[in-house]
Amino acid sequence: MKIRILLLFTFMIFSSSAQKGANSEAKIKAVFLYNFTRFVEWPARSFSSETAPFVIGIIGEDPFGAYIEQAIVGEKVNSHPIVIRRFNSIAEIEDCHILFVNLHDGGMIKQVVAHVSGKNILTVSDANNFAGWGGIIRFYSEESKVKIEINTTAAKAAQLSISSKLLSVSQIY
Amino acid sequence: MKLRDIPIQRKIMTVILITCAIVLTLMCSAYMVFEYISFRNVTKVHVSTIAAVVASNSSAALAFDSQKDGVDILSALSEEKHIVAASLYKSDGKIFAKFPVYIQDSSVPSSPGEAGFYFSKGFLEGFQPVVQNGKILGMLYLKSDMQGLYEQLRHFAAIALFLIGSSLLIAYFLSHILQKSISQPILQLEETARRISEKGDYSVRAKKNGDDELGALTNAFNFMLSQIEVQNKEILSFNHTLERTVEERTLELVEANSVLRQQKEFVETIINSSVDIIGVFDAHLNYVMINKRVGDFDEYKRDEIVGKNILEVFPDLADSAMYKNLQMALKGEIVHDKKYKSPIVNRYFENYYIPLMNELNEVYGVLAIGHDISDIMEANEKLESVNSALVKSNQDLEQFAYIASHDLQEPLRKIQTFSQLIIHDRDNTEMVSRYLEKINSSANRMQQLIQEVLNFSRISRAEEAFVPVDLNKTIESLLIDFELLIREKKATINFSGLPVIRGIPLQLSQLFSNLMSNSLKYTERDPLITISCRDITSEELNSYPDLNQNSSYICISVEDNGIGFDPQFNEKIFSIFQRLHDKQSYSGTGIGLALCKKIVENHGGKIEGHGKVNNGSRFNVILPVR
Repeated sequence: MKIRILLLFTFMIFSSSAQKGANSEAKIKAVFLYNFTRFVEWPARSFSSETAPFVIGIIGEDPFGAYIEQAIVGEKVNSHPIVIRRFNSIAEIEDCHILFVNLHDGGMIKQVVAHVSGKNILTVSDANNFAGWGGIIRFYSEESKVKIEINTTAAKAAQLSISSKLLSVSQIY
Repeated sequence: MKLRDIPIQRKIMTVILITCAIVLTLMCSAYMVFEYISFRNVTKVHVSTIAAVVASNSSAALAFDSQKDGVDILSALSEEKHIVAASLYKSDGKIFAKFPVYIQDSSVPSSPGEAGFYFSKGFLEGFQPVVQNGKILGMLYLKSDMQGLYEQLRHFAAIALFLIGSSLLIAYFLSHILQKSISQPILQLEETARRISEKGDYSVRAKKNGDDELGALTNAFNFMLSQIEVQNKEILSFNHTLERTVEERTLELVEANSVLRQQKEFVETIINSSVDIIGVFDAHLNYVMINKRVGDFDEYKRDEIVGKNILEVFPDLADSAMYKNLQMALKGEIVHDKKYKSPIVNRYFENYYIPLMNELNEVYGVLAIGHDISDIMEANEKLESVNSALVKSNQDLEQFAYIASHDLQEPLRKIQTFSQLIIHDRDNTEMVSRYLEKINSSANRMQQLIQEVLNFSRISRAEEAFVPVDLNKTIESLLIDFELLIREKKATINFSGLPVIRGIPLQLSQLFSNLMSNSLKYTERDPLITISCRDITSEELNSYPDLNQNSSYICISVEDNGIGFDPQFNEKIFSIFQRLHDKQSYSGTGIGLALCKKIVENHGGKIEGHGKVNNGSRFNVILPVR
């Protein structure tokens, strides 16, 4: 009985991931990015005003396409409307609250991390050693599912308080 | 046993216990209902809280698609033994995780419903949105059984039963002690009242226990007792006086009664010893009283008659003179009926009908007095018949005197005439001898006449006893007497089947002797005499009103073929000395048929003559048979 149920589960998972493929992964990650706004608290001083936008920044190539827009359309973090900003270079990076780093070169990543250190920015990346390089959240795949790894030291340094619930579903670096 | 019939102690206790039981039951029931509702609410709140906590905990798992964490979080529900099923749904409505893991998808809703919890079929189930910072990430479904509620209720019912039982037990003992304060004075009152009613001793007083209503009741009761005691004494003395008065009155009444009874007996004796019938009727002609005299008349019993209506006792009186007279008397008229023939006893009465009036002059009854006059009537009738016989005899005597003056004088005149002729012609011996012969002949005739007149008058006075006479033998002996004459005249005499009747033999012989000799005398040639007998029918009897209509008669006919007579003399021929023919043609005295009539009448009968000139005659002798 148990074996049959397990088989059924496995089949369901495979079939869903096979259907969605890479696009589906991009979509999941886009939703995850948005969901981070619910499980992470940013200090008030990171906003210039009550109505100042909550900025999700993307550096490097945008892997989400329209998915990210769909995920955040009309959404707010408290009173702050969510906006997407795409940066083409490190120099372009302005004040933002979440920064998705779609870079794979370790040097570049270190530069970005260094650039944002001291700011209340939640850095997110797919890069393998992202946490090791001082990034806060890393996406990784396990059993064809998107998983999360969190560098709590880095988060603390960025003065972000991450919900224990998020931590409970994540891997701690 | 009804509540109102049981003793007051038990009644009070019963009332208290019933009240306690009802109040406790109501309270427990109300509390149970309250408990049920509040437990439901608590359960709802509890389940909602669990749902909120689980939903909150599972937000990250849903947000970051961590099925394993979702399952883990749900599995924590196993600590809550009443949660029987749970499931998480993703924001797209698909099942994300289940509890317990082994249940099938069909055991939980396939898609999430509206948020909120509701009771359904013994379960509490509902959906809780999974929200993180205002973002709905999915839905949690929880299903809880109500075993907790039922268990709670069972516990409570047990406690309630114990509570009610112990409360009633306490109430029983308490009421047993406390009811005495109410029942004791009442029982004392009751005991006092019973002692009084049993012994009739009104000097007893009830003991007072307090100043409550029962104390007031005891006071009132005691006051009443003292009143009764006083009144009782008054009643007793009044009774005593009354008894004495009653005794005196009774004595007076007894005396008055005995006087009345004497008077009544006196009156009754007078009434009952009256030879008259005395009856009293009420206004409806019912018998009120009737005297003993009525008992003399056959079967009527006085006791049976009194109280009944006159027509009920004697229906035959409906159209009698008595009934009419009674009704006239009821109108206030005194009626005197001098001669009343009662259809009941066949006697004659002289009746008085006297209306009985009350003080308002209204007739309330009738006094009827009947005096039996039957004997007087009978005597009167006898007197009348004797009188008529006397009249008849007088007439006969007058007729006899008249005829005697003629017929008896005739031979006397002859004797005178011839004796004068003898004196005148005394020298002529031949003539004298002839005259003497004539005188002798006249004297003979005179003697014959006198003899027959004597016979006739003797029959008138004859009162000989009646004996049975066989008429056949009478005729046979007459045939011997007339033998010479019959032979001389060559007569034929037929007779047969004559009856035996009661009568005087000599007179009956004379009767038929006269009739037969007449027939022989007045028949010239070959006389044929027929003597026959037949019964008189009742129709024929009606044409003879002077005969007794209740007797039976026979008719003996003597018929001949002689010279007969004119029918106009049918009656006259029976008169004395009546003759239809001269002496020269037919000898006779004119007494024969008068004698026959006398004999027949002597026997209570009748004789008729039927003649036709030159064509025979017939004589009918009608005689009673007994």
